[in-house]
Amino acid sequence: MSLWEAFLNWLRSLFFKQEMELSLIGLQNAGKTSLVNVVATGGYSEDMIPTVGFNMKKVTKGNVTIKLWDLGGQPRFRSMWERYCRSVSAIVYVVDAADNDNLPVSRSELHDLLSKPSLSGIPLLVLGNKIDKPGALSKEALTEQM
Amino acid sequence: MAQPLVKKDDDRDDEADYHPFLGIEKGAVLQEARVFNDPQLDARRCSQVITKLLYLLNQGESFTKIEATEVFFAVTKLFQSRDIGLRRMVYLMIKELSPSADEVQIGTDISYIASNIKVIIVTSSLMKDMNSKTDMYRANAIRVLCRITDGTLLTQIERYLKQAIVDKNPVVASAALVSGIHLLQTNPEIVKRWSNEVQEAVQSRAALVQFHALALLHQIRQNDRLAVSKLVTSLTRGTVRSPLAQCLLIRYTSQVIRESGGNTQTGDRPFYDYLESCLRHKAEMVIFEAAKAITELSGVTNRELTPAITVLQLFLSSSKPVLRFAAVRTLNKVAMTHPMAVTNCNIDMESLISDPNRSIATLAITTLLKTGNESSVDRLMKQITNFMSDIADEFKIVVVEAIRSLCLKFPLKYRSLMNFLSNILREEGGFEYKKAIVDSIVILISDIPDAKESGLLHLCEFIEDCEFTYLSTQILHFLGIEGPKTSDPSKYIRYIYNRVHLENATVRASAVSTLAKFGALVDSLKPRIFILLRRCLFDSDDEVRDRATLYLNTLGGDGSVVETDNDVKDFLFGSLGVPLVNLETSLKNYEPSEEPFDISSVPKEIKSQPLAEKKAPGKKQPGLGSSPSGPGSTVDAYDKLLSSIPEFSNFGRLFKSSPPVELTEAETEYAVNVVKHIFDSHVVFQYNCTNTIPEQLLENVTVVVDASEAEDFSAVASKLLRSLPYDTPGQTFVAFEKPEGVPAVGKFSNMLRFIVKEVDTSTGEAEEDGVEDEYQLEDLEVVASDYMLKVPVSNFRNAWESMDPESEQVDEYGLGPRESLTEAVSAVINLLGMQPCEIDYYSGQDYRKGSEVVPNNSRSHTCLLSGVYIGNVKVLVRLSFGMDSSREVAMKLAVRSDDVSVSSAIHDIVASG
Repeated sequence: MSLWEAFLNWLRSLFFKQEMELSLIGLQNAGKTSLVNVVATGGYSEDMIPTVGFNMKKVTKGNVTIKLWDLGGQPRFRSMWERYCRSVSAIVYVVDAADNDNLPVSRSELHDLLSKPSLSGIPLLVLGNKIDKPGALSKEALTEQM
Repeated sequence: MAQPLVKKDDDRDDEADYHPFLGIEKGAVLQEARVFNDPQLDARRCSQVITKLLYLLNQGESFTKIEATEVFFAVTKLFQSRDIGLRRMVYLMIKELSPSADEVQIGTDISYIASNIKVIIVTSSLMKDMNSKTDMYRANAIRVLCRITDGTLLTQIERYLKQAIVDKNPVVASAALVSGIHLLQTNPEIVKRWSNEVQEAVQSRAALVQFHALALLHQIRQNDRLAVSKLVTSLTRGTVRSPLAQCLLIRYTSQVIRESGGNTQTGDRPFYDYLESCLRHKAEMVIFEAAKAITELSGVTNRELTPAITVLQLFLSSSKPVLRFAAVRTLNKVAMTHPMAVTNCNIDMESLISDPNRSIATLAITTLLKTGNESSVDRLMKQITNFMSDIADEFKIVVVEAIRSLCLKFPLKYRSLMNFLSNILREEGGFEYKKAIVDSIVILISDIPDAKESGLLHLCEFIEDCEFTYLSTQILHFLGIEGPKTSDPSKYIRYIYNRVHLENATVRASAVSTLAKFGALVDSLKPRIFILLRRCLFDSDDEVRDRATLYLNTLGGDGSVVETDNDVKDFLFGSLGVPLVNLETSLKNYEPSEEPFDISSVPKEIKSQPLAEKKAPGKKQPGLGSSPSGPGSTVDAYDKLLSSIPEFSNFGRLFKSSPPVELTEAETEYAVNVVKHIFDSHVVFQYNCTNTIPEQLLENVTVVVDASEAEDFSAVASKLLRSLPYDTPGQTFVAFEKPEGVPAVGKFSNMLRFIVKEVDTSTGEAEEDGVEDEYQLEDLEVVASDYMLKVPVSNFRNAWESMDPESEQVDEYGLGPRESLTEAVSAVINLLGMQPCEIDYYSGQDYRKGSEVVPNNSRSHTCLLSGVYIGNVKVLVRLSFGMDSSREVAMKLAVRSDDVSVSSAIHDIVASG
């Protein structure tokens, strides 16, 4: 790559730099913090502690800078999700597809959240995590459940 | 959109450059706080908005719950910024908005938990910052985290906190240590585990870390005297560099000295050398702290005091006001106990009277007044007069009090001092100030006979133009007592009668009473007084009319001028014979009925609550919890209880009930204490029993009393206790007859007798059959002090002089060698069971101090006691103690009473004790 091209790239990144803000929510132990770590550093650790409150990560990939609000999933934090979802570019709702027992809870929390008027019009991505685990639901079944 | 706002801001800054935030409004600032949500953060601007919010909060502005929540969440979003300054503001804001940790700990209701949840959302972010590479982040995150954390979270972060305590960076270490001091209140057991780290931090090179570490270490160990003592011993050997830590150490040292009690006699006080060496420290604060500690040592000797006074004297001429203030304040305190030690500094202090700082000047004046000698009084008074006009009331009061004690010390100087007081009485001033002056004059009049006439006239002039009802009535009352005894009582009448014309109803009523007192006591004035009183019959206020009518009728104002007989005088102006507090409660309890209120039913003894009732309620008090009364009037309750028992109902009025005396050791099977009730010709023992064995039920409980060593007593009745279940106190009584009015003494041995039944603890049911059993109790004595009521008198001197000198009996006793005078004094007080009175003013000691208090190291002491002996005989006792070099105590006992035989009875008590 010539120096010139590098320079162009740099110019382009200046002009086409894009900012995005994402909120990661979902029940506890769904894998939100791990997901952030994978996106940010590519690493994965078995040994995680529950998020008390939230983590903020800024990730720059190419021309895009993503601000990730990784929120705690324990019941005591759920009422506060909405505050960190307002005016974000998109909401990522992480579901543990292998945790059959908690799916109804997950579903109702999601629907509760969506009913908030302040969040209308914000794109939502429901992300089925842990599908490699035995006993995990298929994509279709999960869609059905949610 | 943000631009104009910023501009407006700048404009305002220019206009009011003395305070950029003056006049900012909450609403506007909350609007501005929306910048926290901007996708592109402007760190500088955000910091500014937070500063404004903090300013508002610190000005006392309160945010509603919704507002606070909005701001809080908006602020949490600022964690995305990497700007160090902004992050710092974020920490401050979170700390400001979070309920303090203790609040959360106490409040368990839902709303508290909800607010705590709100705060907990930042925990994760803070934990990340706590391990950040930026020192500033680490330190501040620790402080915030500890503020919002609870017990469970604390165990998670404990490891990091321990690391932080020994962090290389002093700011981080200090933050962790200070957080530890806060957390010790809520989670002591966790913080106590950090001892090793804290100890390491005490050795830190950084001054602040050392200071905070020492404070925390002491707090951790504060309940363990030995550990504190060890800590002080090791640190005083000189490893503490920080001046602040050194000051702390000095305080802890003096605490250790205080608690160890020290043996002042042998002369070597532990740690004194250390304190003395601190006087040569290079930091002024350490020097001062050490000097202060030395002056506050209990029983400090002059030799120990001298070096401390010397450094304080140097401070007096320092250029720093704070040093001058500290020094003169300490010297002021020393002057109360060791006036001679301070005299060296007098010249320095005289120059401080003109100090621009008024606090320093006032302290200098009052110290000089305490240390001054008779010859310097006039010179001082001249200086004070100039100075009085430009100090505030509270300082003036201090000066007035100092002058009062000076006057009592040098009665010969009363003229100039009294003049001074009357001059300032005429000047402007608030109630407290005027009251202090009036009180002083009243005290001087009652203590210095020569000052009476001039003092009374000063007071008369004062009430001619006095805006305070309270002071007017006080002075009128006082005039009524002192006025008639003067050489020319008639000259006061005009002042008093003027009040009837010019004042409000309260003052008019007391003026009427005062007039009547003159009328009753001075026969030559009677006709004129009656004319004045008759005019008062037309007053618009009914209290004033009532009083005038009463006095006219009782004093014989119906035309015939007769000598008022003593009964009438006594009825109108004598003392009530009961403490006012007791009268007040009795009147409150009195229910309007056919039966008139009986003043003789008012208990005479001032309330001395049994110890048991002072302890925290709710805790079970085995053996003590049996008195059926609340913490109110115990005597009343006992009286009621006893008169409800038919066997005792004809014993007459209860004279005195003793405090409970334990007859068993603590923690025994059965706890028993006894209350001695004294009647005129009977004694009733009330045994309060508690059964502390869950498996037993006691029935038919009695106490078998052997009175073979108490010849004057014969048993007349007893009342057994049917049943005594576990942990429910019950009473059994035994009554004895004794010769009427005679203070018979004796020793009684007691045996608790009962039927014991086994109880099945699971069902709570007792078995049918019981076994008879006995339990030996300790002996009980009826002593002379049981026949003495503690009844105080308000002015001992007056009371003493009003008693018949014929009844006085004086004798001297040797009390043998004693530890201290205090011990001898309290032994005699306990023996007699009498009420210690306030010291009399002549003796030059501190004003209004109980005479039972013996000043440190004094070799002689006078103690005044009052009481009522059985048969309602008033007794006053004056004790003079002296101690010689071999610690032998001698006592002179003077007794006056209404009955000569009682005076000798008191001597018998002391002689046999």
